[in-house]
Amino acid sequence: MLHFRTVKLGTKSLLLHPMRSLLTVLGIFIGVASVIWLLAIGEGISQEAQRQIEDLGAENIIIRSIKPPDESGGNIRQVNAFGVTRNECSLIGDTISTVDRVLPIRELPQKFAYTGNANAKPIDGRLVGCTAEYADVTRLVIERGHFLTSREVALSRPVCVIAARLAEKLFPSEDPLSKQIYLPEKKEYFRIVGVLKHRNATAAIGGSLAAQDFSLDIYIPITTMRVRMTDQETKRTGGSFSTQVFELSQITVQVRSADDVPRTAELVEATLRQNNPGRQDISVVVPFELLEQAKTTRLMFMMFMGLIAAISLIVGGIGIMNIMLATVTERTREIGIRRALGGKQKDIVLQFLVETITLSVVGGITGILMGLFCPIVVDISRWGLEYFAPQLYASLPEVARVMRPTIVPISIPVAFGISVIVGVFFGLYPAVRAAQLDPIEALRHE
Amino acid sequence: MNAKPTRMAAVIRDLQKHYVLKSETVRALRGVSFDVPEGDYVAIMGPSGSGKSTLLNLLGCLDQPTHGSFLLGDEDVAQMTDDQLSTIRASRIGFVFQSYNLIAQLSVVENIEVPLYYMGNLTAQSRLRSIELASMVGLGERLDHRPAQLSGGQQQRVAIARSLVNDPYFILADEATGNLDSVTTEEILALFQRLNDEGKTIIMVTHEDEVAQHAKRVIRLRDGEIQFDKPVVDRKVFTAEQIQEIAHNADVASRSAD
Ligand SMILES: Nc1ncnc2c1ncn2[C@@H]1O[C@H](COP(=O)(O)OP(=O)(O)OP(=O)(O)O)[C@@H](O)[C@H]1O
Ligand SMILES: [Mg+2]
Repeated sequence: MLHFRTVKLGTKSLLLHPMRSLLTVLGIFIGVASVIWLLAIGEGISQEAQRQIEDLGAENIIIRSIKPPDESGGNIRQVNAFGVTRNECSLIGDTISTVDRVLPIRELPQKFAYTGNANAKPIDGRLVGCTAEYADVTRLVIERGHFLTSREVALSRPVCVIAARLAEKLFPSEDPLSKQIYLPEKKEYFRIVGVLKHRNATAAIGGSLAAQDFSLDIYIPITTMRVRMTDQETKRTGGSFSTQVFELSQITVQVRSADDVPRTAELVEATLRQNNPGRQDISVVVPFELLEQAKTTRLMFMMFMGLIAAISLIVGGIGIMNIMLATVTERTREIGIRRALGGKQKDIVLQFLVETITLSVVGGITGILMGLFCPIVVDISRWGLEYFAPQLYASLPEVARVMRPTIVPISIPVAFGISVIVGVFFGLYPAVRAAQLDPIEALRHE
Repeated sequence: MNAKPTRMAAVIRDLQKHYVLKSETVRALRGVSFDVPEGDYVAIMGPSGSGKSTLLNLLGCLDQPTHGSFLLGDEDVAQMTDDQLSTIRASRIGFVFQSYNLIAQLSVVENIEVPLYYMGNLTAQSRLRSIELASMVGLGERLDHRPAQLSGGQQQRVAIARSLVNDPYFILADEATGNLDSVTTEEILALFQRLNDEGKTIIMVTHEDEVAQHAKRVIRLRDGEIQFDKPVVDRKVFTAEQIQEIAHNADVASRSAD
């Protein structure tokens, strides 16, 4: 029989000490807000991580070539080829039945210039040799024009598709389509047939896959790359030359269904290592497995965050209990009066419980409101940091810069429920103690 | 046989109360018996430590006797559970304390309503009755005031109004005038007399002969036993005019206090 009057009375009693009540509420407020904040940020971070992995494709297996460390001081004439080969690429495609497609990819750091703007300094970017299927498998979206066609690849045409940022940089005021791009290091020209939409960067995953920023990429037919640039790369750094020979930088293997990925990955590894089990110049990355891992990590992360939040709520609850014990002592006389005038023990319990629950619910509701502001506050503080401390901002990890806090919907009722439970749990003891006071002694209390 | 049998507000038989302490047992009441008919006005007197408050606590159902019986209406209070005692206190007993004992957070009317609240009887009608009682004790214009805004006499009048709200078997007053000056004491005593004239039963504890002279009957305790129980000779009675005048003066005083 919770009377409206009881709640009103509780509120009145709390307002007798507004400062004290406010501070008590603050404990729960911080606890609840931190539950929502921590969960939202945790969710944002793990969603970002998950998205980055998913961008690699859950049904893909990625084989990267790894340049072996230079053991021989660089003066040596004989240069060994490293990494995956075109042969291996077609072998995987031909012999493993669960494989849908294989994409050979070769990447070179490169400088680019626009022929129509001879004075401009060439821009550092990345030249990517690939096939027509690349766009499909990596979900590239074309803004204008078209991606490389199988015909252009088959005929080794000197055409290219250019990433959005690079297009903006090279062609601040012109339409890039059909313009010629010049590669000063290779002395080659490519005609632009397509411009891409912006593509998200991927983060480094484990130690095996470096972070990739696709914003300054130019895609050309891998056939054209082979014909015009061969497998040998010679770079002049300072006075000395360094030479590397590699056929491919990466093979992206697309498996028919995500379920086949683990088995296929084993077969791929076995195929690549059949002659040299210990080879160090490749690494096989399975985003699907990383995804599973990320999900487990996320769960752990959420539990950890939840634990921290729970601790802060317990601290808030102890604050409430502390105040209520003081209140009960202070109001012993009132309890005596109420008992004398017919209040049952359970009426007294209820009265004090209502007060603690009111405190914790007010803390809970304001905490939830504060929690809902989390994405905005995070945005504002990022903006502020970027504006006032750009270096510090730049030094933040990528995830911290791009992740969007995502309010976990369940966290709101949970936070509210927890605040009520905290109120009941920590309020019960003081309330029962109040109810068990001897009315006569309570009346005599000064 | 009596022509018109008086109903009993309380029947007390061989009431004993012992406090068991570590070193000793204090026998605060050692067997007290008396009846309180409806409409009686009893003053309980006695030296300090004689058991007056102990007796009053038993009469007020705040405590259970160690031995003996206490019939309230037809019910034996000595056998009741804590919840039953609470119900009885809420519905059948009016308390007036020496230190008023109003609840600070509540207004005058709300204070008067507290016993009804615990009876679960708060209605629009009961609100009207509480307002009526507040007017009866001369506080009809201060319904929304807090206890802290009232004088001692006014607070005690609120307490008296509160003691009447549940239409009790009797009003129990423990040193109700102990904190008040002589003028205000008269005011309260006049109010008691008026209530008693209207048929209310009053049991009060007092140290002062002056106050006890207003009752109809005095029970004197000594060492937990009744030393004597006799009607008051030369009872001091306020005339109707006096009651009116006192009420009027109190009214004027409380108005000019604003
Ligand atoms: N809770 C208690 N525990 C132990 N002894 C008590 C308790 N209450 C009262 N007593 C003892 O019982 C006896 C009667 O006390 P009581 O309070 O009834 O006296 P009183 O007549 O009201 O005195 P006063 O005029 O000083 O108020 C005293 O000896 C007192 O010490
Ligand atoms: Mg006493």
